[in-house]
Amino acid sequence: MHEYAVVDELISSLVPRLETIPGRVTAVFVRKGELRILSAHALESAFEFLAKGTRLEGARLEIEDVAAIVRCAACGYEGPPCRFGDADDHFAIPILSCPRCGGSVTATAGRELCVERVAVADDGVAGGAAEPADP
Amino acid sequence: MHEVRFSGEDILARQLELAEANYRRLHEKGIRSVSVLGAIGSGKTTLVEWAITRLEREGLRVGTIAADSAGDDDHQRFVARGARSVNVNTQDDCHLDAHAVDHALDALPLDALDVLFVENVGNLICPADFPLGTDREMVVISVTEGDDMVRKHPKIFAQTDLVVVNKVDLASAVGVDPQRLVADYAALNPHGKIVLAQAKTGRGMDEVLALLGFPCTNTQW
Repeated sequence: MHEYAVVDELISSLVPRLETIPGRVTAVFVRKGELRILSAHALESAFEFLAKGTRLEGARLEIEDVAAIVRCAACGYEGPPCRFGDADDHFAIPILSCPRCGGSVTATAGRELCVERVAVADDGVAGGAAEPADP
Repeated sequence: MHEVRFSGEDILARQLELAEANYRRLHEKGIRSVSVLGAIGSGKTTLVEWAITRLEREGLRVGTIAADSAGDDDHQRFVARGARSVNVNTQDDCHLDAHAVDHALDALPLDALDVLFVENVGNLICPADFPLGTDREMVVISVTEGDDMVRKHPKIFAQTDLVVVNKVDLASAVGVDPQRLVADYAALNPHGKIVLAQAKTGRGMDEVLALLGFPCTNTQW
């Protein structure tokens, strides 16, 4: 359950960056590379729990999966890796080896774990635990 | 409703910076460092004990960081072998992080070390997202965990370039074929290295040290 530690870092780094942005944060969009070993469900649960009492309370955590891209130093290939398991299987594992020449590769995408953007409601309600104002 | 975009800085940027600082600190002191990851009871501590004895015999001064949830059993074993060691209790955390290693380095005599082993908490999954700043990383498993250990954790092994399969002397007793582990690993990670070992007696250990870049005789150092 290291997702709690990851989300703790996410919240403690994001909250100060929102100080100059007024409004109620309704969603946090995160890009998560498929090479990271993190459960989306556990990240969402951790976010819901740890955001309480912060500017991010009540916001949704939206996770976008990023597929791995590999680059081969030997032949110059850059693109999707081969996969272990059925190619149609959503859970097939990327193999860090060049699909063209079998050389060793480095991942140029797939290790991301970053906040890409946040959605802010312009409803005049301050962020955090405040309830929406009566109409 | 409007959206605010961010630069895409990694959520664990603070951890990555600390890991890089650890890496620079160790390099400035000329210390080669190895993280040891692996399942509970796979033999990580025995492997490091053996490495301490072997490398000290080569004239290298070995330091260790022993991480466990609680207690100092591993730390005491390393001290008994002559290592300069620091004990780290992670308590309820399932992994070491770069910050804990930074503090542990403060407590080690870095000027008097050539090699550092960092033994992580017994856990195959959680430490993977927390770089510590060491030169190398290896994963230790043992045959007693079953010959499906690699295929059950494909994402870990696809990204691990050195694996030690320990306790191979027990393979027939527990009905495990180590070659199945080797074949599964080769399919997942064609460029990785896997060593069949028996840390208790030293079998395979020179190969492990050589793959980590350590010499097997002091004339090469």
